[in-house]
Amino acid sequence: MRYEYTVETEDLAKYYYMGKYVIKALDGVNIKIRRGEYVSIMGPSGSGKTTLFNMIGGLDRPTRGKVYIDEVDISKLDAYELAWLRCRKIGYIFQTFNLIPVLTALENVMLPMIFAGVPREERIKRATELLERVGLGDRLHHKPPELSGGQQQRVAIARALANDPAIVLADEPTGNLDLHTGLEIINLLRTLNKEKGVTIVTATHDLKMIDVSDRIIYLRDGKVQRIETRAEVAVEYEE
Amino acid sequence: MSAGKVGTWEIGEIKLPLSEAFRISLENIRKRFVRAAITTASIVLGIAFMVSILLMAQIQQIARGAPETIRAYQYWLLFISLLVSGVGITNSMLIAVAERYKEIGTMKCLGALDRHILIFFLLESLIIGGVGGIAGYIVGLIAGIVYGYTQFRPSDVIGALTSPLGTLSMLGAPTVIALLLLSVVLAMILTMAASLYPAYYAAKLNPAEALRYEV
Ligand SMILES: Nc1ncnc2c1ncn2[C@@H]1O[C@H](COP(=O)(O)OP(=O)(O)OP(=O)(O)O)[C@@H](O)[C@H]1O
Ligand SMILES: [Mg+2]
Repeated sequence: MRYEYTVETEDLAKYYYMGKYVIKALDGVNIKIRRGEYVSIMGPSGSGKTTLFNMIGGLDRPTRGKVYIDEVDISKLDAYELAWLRCRKIGYIFQTFNLIPVLTALENVMLPMIFAGVPREERIKRATELLERVGLGDRLHHKPPELSGGQQQRVAIARALANDPAIVLADEPTGNLDLHTGLEIINLLRTLNKEKGVTIVTATHDLKMIDVSDRIIYLRDGKVQRIETRAEVAVEYEE
Repeated sequence: MSAGKVGTWEIGEIKLPLSEAFRISLENIRKRFVRAAITTASIVLGIAFMVSILLMAQIQQIARGAPETIRAYQYWLLFISLLVSGVGITNSMLIAVAERYKEIGTMKCLGALDRHILIFFLLESLIIGGVGGIAGYIVGLIAGIVYGYTQFRPSDVIGALTSPLGTLSMLGAPTVIALLLLSVVLAMILTMAASLYPAYYAAKLNPAEALRYEV
């Protein structure tokens, strides 16, 4: 099925209560992300990017407001349905790669398919294809400590795509990589976005990310400051 | 189970075959050998102590022909030593959980249910309990044999005690096998019980919190 908006938030807010202080990590965020879009979320440290990710990714409950993924209000889901959402609808990529250290690259990519109940033969086939697609066909049986940062992030990208998710959420995917490797990862994400039509949302400080994004959402103090489409950004550069 | 329809979604099943869970738990033990070894040591000591006390009582009983030689205080010692080893395991499993906050958060991102996290940790403790039980039994057996040898050799009352095999055959197969079963079952129950709280704690972690944790 096709939906116009893959992600939609409505007056989304997350407050943290620290004694008598209230930290408004998110405070009334309204965004709509179309199917197949590549959106970057930019903002200074502490502006609420990771918090927004956790809300969209079904990893935490908002204080107020709603998140719709493919038109379903995820605040209404129970634990089982949330696990299914994380398993099937969303792929996660982290700054620190977060591969399971005791498993090989292939096993890491197969893990979400185990939870999804994909039969073993098919798991191996699909995981191998995905790893080949991200350029790691010769590293299938290596464990994370034997891979470079860039290679680990490629494994993470393959893993995020394992169950054909609607959305890939990437929180500072280039944050731990050098300039060149970061650029490779960005280009890979963009290519996969075009190829597979998967919606990609990245949080980033990385200005290289602007070039490949369809839209950039600027966050500040938990609020959307402004939203730019790529055309506008390009114009700004020319000025 | 709440597989079914939600809005426009067709919620499918979330699975974790036991064979896969077992493989991952085994891999975790292998790759984190030092931690697992420390946990195992705790259970080995407890079980070895138990086996050696029971064996010594048996040997004494046979050698001296006295009826019952395990005294109340020895039961107390036994109980306390098993308790201490249980607390050691709980402590060590809690550290294992803390070391893996991020991994637990990641697992949940990939679709793991709370009970899957529980299963991973309990399987690990079950394996450790089994291995620790067997190792503890062997250590306890050796201690018992050494005891019989050093205690009774000079008098040579019983020639059988001068060789390990002699001691074993004197005790009889039923005793030796019953002790092995007791060791393994008790070790598994003890490790499971001691790991219940850490595993439950791990399973209940909120994924956002677990991922925030920097190791
Ligand atoms: N669990 C928490 N408890 C208390 N405060 C929190 C918690 N999580 C986040 N915050 C606060 O919420 C605000 C937003 O944090 P968030 O991690 O979303 O920022 P960010 O934009 O991802 O920053 P960075 O670029 O450094 O990763 C910060 O002020 C942070 O201190
Ligand atoms: Mg962040």
